[in-house]
Order: sequence, then C-alpha cells, then structure tokens
Amino acid sequence: MTPRLITGIAARRLLPAVTLMLIVGCPLPAGAQTSSPQTSSKARVEAFAKLPDWSGMWELDAFVGQSDGQQFSAEGQRRLAYYAAALKPAFTPEYQAKFDAIRKEVAAAVAADPNHPPMTHQPLCGAPPFPATLTPGMYEWLITPEETDFISTVGAVRHIYTDGRSHPPKDELWPTLMGDSIGHWEGGTLVIDTIATKQRLYTGELSGFFFPMSDQLHFVERVRMIDRDHMQIDYTAEDPIALTKPIHATILHSRVTDFNRMVEEEDCEENERDPVVNGRFTTVVK
Amino acid sequence: MGTSAFAHHSRAMFDHTKQVNLVGTVKEFQWTNPHCWIQVLVPDPSNPGAAPVEWGVEMGAPVELMRKGWKPGSLNAGDKVTIVINPLRDGQHGGLEVSVTGPDGKIIGRPAPATQ
Repeated sequence: MTPRLITGIAARRLLPAVTLMLIVGCPLPAGAQTSSPQTSSKARVEAFAKLPDWSGMWELDAFVGQSDGQQFSAEGQRRLAYYAAALKPAFTPEYQAKFDAIRKEVAAAVAADPNHPPMTHQPLCGAPPFPATLTPGMYEWLITPEETDFISTVGAVRHIYTDGRSHPPKDELWPTLMGDSIGHWEGGTLVIDTIATKQRLYTGELSGFFFPMSDQLHFVERVRMIDRDHMQIDYTAEDPIALTKPIHATILHSRVTDFNRMVEEEDCEENERDPVVNGRFTTVVK
Repeated sequence: MGTSAFAHHSRAMFDHTKQVNLVGTVKEFQWTNPHCWIQVLVPDPSNPGAAPVEWGVEMGAPVELMRKGWKPGSLNAGDKVTIVINPLRDGQHGGLEVSVTGPDGKIIGRPAPATQ
C-alpha cells in the first residue's frame, strides 16, 4: 500500500497524540528537572486519553459568516449585541463615576474631531489582555494532563495549570497580562479560575475598551464542547470593590472551517500605517 | 454601520455612507500586518495630461484576506483594477477597501462561508 501523507485537519488532530508519544517515549536526560513529580508514562497516557479532543482552530462565533472579511454578518451583529448586553457591568457608584467620566471624555474627543478617532483601547497591537477568549482572533487549545494552553493568532497565550496546584501565595503574585490561571476537569468541562490580571475588564464598549478594575477582580470560566463545531464558555467576572454583582455571559465559539494554520495577525511593526498621533488615529495614505 | 472586525483600530476615520470608485493601475500591493494595502495610480479622465493621483487603500490583515479568497499574489504592480472604497473623512486620497475588480474583470475573493 502506498504510504499516504497525512495533512490538514487530520494531521492537526494527530499532532497532540504524536507529540505526547514523543515526550513519553524519550527519557529525560540525566539531571533534567520537572516542575511536578514524574508520573509514569502509562498513567500519563491514560490521563491524556480521558481528556477531550478540542483540536482544530476556533474563533468567537460572531465572526462566522463575515460578509467581506471586514464587516460582521447580520448574525454576527446579533451575536455581538447579545454579548454587549450580557457583559454589561453593574458598577458600584465609585466605579460607575469613573466609567462615566471616561465615556464622556471619549464622546467629547469624538465630537471635537470625528475624522480622527481617539485611541480608547489598549493595547493597540499585540496580545489582547485577559480575557483573550472574548477578543478577536483565531486560536487553538493545546491540552496536556498538566496544563491546557490557549494560543491565539493575535499573540495571546494563556497557560491554565491543571496539575492540582493552587494559585501562588499573595506575596508571590503581581498583575500580568493574562493573570494566573489554574483549572480542573469536570468530565469534558474545563473549569478555569483566574486572578492577578492587570485588573481590566473588557466592556464591549468604546472600541473594545478595557476598563480598570480593583485588585480583587476574579474570573471563572467553564469551557466545554457542545457539539463538534461549537465551544461554549460560561464566563463569570466578579469584583466586590468595582461591581455590585458578578457578570455572567455564555459565549459561543465556532470551529474555523476555512483556515487551518496558526499565523500571527498582529505584527504592527511590519507596516503600521494608522499610527496614533496625539492620542488619535491617523492614516498614512502613501 | 458595521462593527469593525479590525482588532487594532477603530474604522471611524472612514465614511461608511460614501463609496468612491477608483479606476487605475496598481503601483504596489502590500501583503502585510497589521493591514494589507493597495497603492493605486488613478488618472483623471477629464485631464489626461496630468500625472495620476496615488491613492492608498486599506484592507484587512493577510489572514482575513486569505479567508475571503485572496492570496499574496492576487495583485501585482501594473494590474488594471477598479477598486470601490469608503473614503477617508479627512479628504486625503485614501479609503477602506469594499471590493476590487481585477484585470480579468472579476471581483477578487469571495464571501466568507455562511453562518453555521
């Protein structure tokens, strides 16, 4: 029989298993250190076999049916409107005042010069901060018994440790782009707990504005595949200082069917022709 | 107005209520992040002796374009094209690509797959 080259989606599905076989099949060099006690190869393979297959590429379902690559489809618009409503925060008076002040400032800036929109979100380019699962870009899940990684084409990488560890003690934590995530599996559902992010909340307003929150901001996500082509994320954000009640939203992601490789999308250094000048977007036409 | 799929900036600098047809010759096709661009030389039919005007046409990122059927070699310098854009509000010779008709008279690319 002629050997057949396995490519595309089939290869993507096999890759984690092949990688695992390579890992478990190769003894560690003498002196090599691991961060957790070494599990036996057999036990590790068995643990891996119990984990779900989330291979392939995914994206927020609002991108499905994009009519021209730059506009959302009618269905996409409907989904976005749902998310905007579901993610609407109920701020405490202190944080509502802060939010209103920024909203007013942005409205005034737009009125002053509608030709050059103010830069209201951050970062301008590169990895979107947590929760990257709400922001644009295609991504993939890489699942191992010890950790699950979320890797996005716009540069976000989240490491979710599922080896039974706790969050680090408070005196060893500091705010980072993706925060500190630990997780555990409940059947086919990955439950993710995240703290120590840079205390920003994606509001869905003001061009993807990330609004500053308190250092008690805490996220819980329950991620599961609901059918072969859809992933559901039940998302909760709580912050007793900034919010009067937690935010809950059910977010759907769709399998990407028209592209099958991870390539970066957000290298602004390459050819940035919409630079921010004095806090406003400008366009370099030649 | 459609919501932007652009990850990295607002599209409020473009006038989405207007469309302008650019009939000209490709000077350069930039297949780059964060956006692809077409530089196109557009002669003024009412003034054939004048030098053509260069317009800059902003598009999506390479991955976005590829998903709608474009490839890095879809356009080349010298290609005769008709480009529909939403023009910049500030009056510069630039805009956001709506559609591009290539030298063979066909629109380049295809709509994304239908919603599942």
